[in-house]
Amino acid sequence: MPELLRPGSIDEAADLIARHGAAAAVLAGGTSLMRETYPSDGGYLIGVDRLGLDRVVARDGGWSVGAAVSLSVLREAVPIAALQAATREIGGPAVQNMATVGGNLFARAPFGDLAPALLALGAQLVFATADGETTQPIEDFYAGWADGAPPSTGLLTRIELDAPSGDCAYLKCARRRYSTPSVVTVAASVQKDGGTVTDARIALSGAHAQPTRCAAAEQAVIGSSLDEAAIAAAASATEGAVEPRTDAVASDWYRRRMTGVFVGRALAALA
Amino acid sequence: MEDKLIRLAVNGRDEAVVIQPLATLQDVLRDKLELNAVKSGCGQGGCGSCSVLVDGELQLSCLTLAERVGDAEVTTLEGLNETNAIVPLQQAFIENYAAQCGYCTAGMVMAAKALLDRNPAPSRDEIVEGLSGNLCRCTGFAPIVRAVQQAAQALSDTGEEAS
Ligand SMILES: Cc1cc2nc3c(=O)[nH]c(=O)nc-3n(C[C@H](O)[C@H](O)[C@H](O)COP(=O)(O)OP(=O)(O)OC[C@H]3O[C@@H](n4cnc5c(N)ncnc54)[C@H](O)[C@@H]3O)c2cc1C
Ligand code: FES
Ligand code: FES
Repeated sequence: MPELLRPGSIDEAADLIARHGAAAAVLAGGTSLMRETYPSDGGYLIGVDRLGLDRVVARDGGWSVGAAVSLSVLREAVPIAALQAATREIGGPAVQNMATVGGNLFARAPFGDLAPALLALGAQLVFATADGETTQPIEDFYAGWADGAPPSTGLLTRIELDAPSGDCAYLKCARRRYSTPSVVTVAASVQKDGGTVTDARIALSGAHAQPTRCAAAEQAVIGSSLDEAAIAAAASATEGAVEPRTDAVASDWYRRRMTGVFVGRALAALA
Repeated sequence: MEDKLIRLAVNGRDEAVVIQPLATLQDVLRDKLELNAVKSGCGQGGCGSCSVLVDGELQLSCLTLAERVGDAEVTTLEGLNETNAIVPLQQAFIENYAAQCGYCTAGMVMAAKALLDRNPAPSRDEIVEGLSGNLCRCTGFAPIVRAVQQAAQALSDTGEEAS
């Protein structure tokens, strides 16, 4: 059985992670990790509950969200409707009280419902490693995943989020209304000048092995007035670009179709 | 690894318990403190039968390491009132036949209490969302939703707390 370590500082936690490598797992809310069967032969769980990462700090033009902030606290503290919608789509109220923002960004398919919102909002992730702090755009973090599993990045300490300048929509396609894994999850944000879309960020979870932006859908709407034809083109471009998987929740065929349908609906909400 | 002595604040009492490494709060509440309203359904976070309040907030004791609870105040169904009498929320479950086998009931009552403490006049949709992490395999949920609606109505009539 692994040993629980509860470091009191970020430096100490980063050192422990570096020292123990694959034998160490970061324990945040535990809503994923506690469900795993622990190996009987050692290893370490590194708790993040004494690192002061459970706060949201409002700064000029945005928020610094500690990685150990719960989904319920995120919903109260950051008034971005699409992000608030995402927090309500993850498990039930008890899970939302326990699960952390950071833990959700490491969730494996079919989980990971916060990622599309943070991808669409252009979040930056800050990691503490034994060599110091690194910051990367959230899409770079997901680009580093292999086979649906995260790379060893060190400790995620916070998420930097700027107040959105355009509109953002978030939709989850699932089998039940609440507390249910997703078929696909879609978030879209667009910037407009007059009626014309000048920039778009369209992000998906469930469409590939890990959350991603969908460049094909973004290209289909940039320069358009988000009219019906452009939305239909984006939906069909999405269906052509995704590589969904089959699991107990949905087949790859159904996921592909729903990705198109939900990208269309999200864009229609922004038109 | 060695057993550990930890302190827990449960239902208004300070408890000292010896636990095995990585014992869950659920194990400690049931096996050490004999608070058996806390049920063990799935051990995976999926059923809500082990729901408790931690500092007033709904949490799942099966996914909680006992030694991380620290100074937080834990409330189980047994702690809803000091004399162990039926509280109005439970009475509403009785009157609406909201329990059949009863396995989910304690968790449902805790989820309903957490909801009503935050939102004393929830809509039907808000009740459904508030109970969405708790599964019932007997009642079909409708009687449970009615019980919570009745309890909320009783609260607004009397101005009392849920329990
Ligand atoms: C009943 C139930 C329903 C659920 N429904 C959904 C759902 O609908 N949608 C969804 O997306 N998820 C769902 N989940 C999965 C899970 O709750 C979430 O993914 C949750 O956000 C994980 O966060 P956590 O803090 O509990 O993570 P933990 O379980 O503590 O950790 C999860 C992973 O993240 C890593 N990690 C955590 N924090 C850090 C950090 N700061 N730095 C580096 N690594 C870190 C851990 O090492 C681990 O690998 C559900 C879970 C349950 C039990
Ligand atoms: S036993 Fe805890 S949620 Fe099922
Ligand atoms: S009454 Fe039997 S599970 Fe709810």
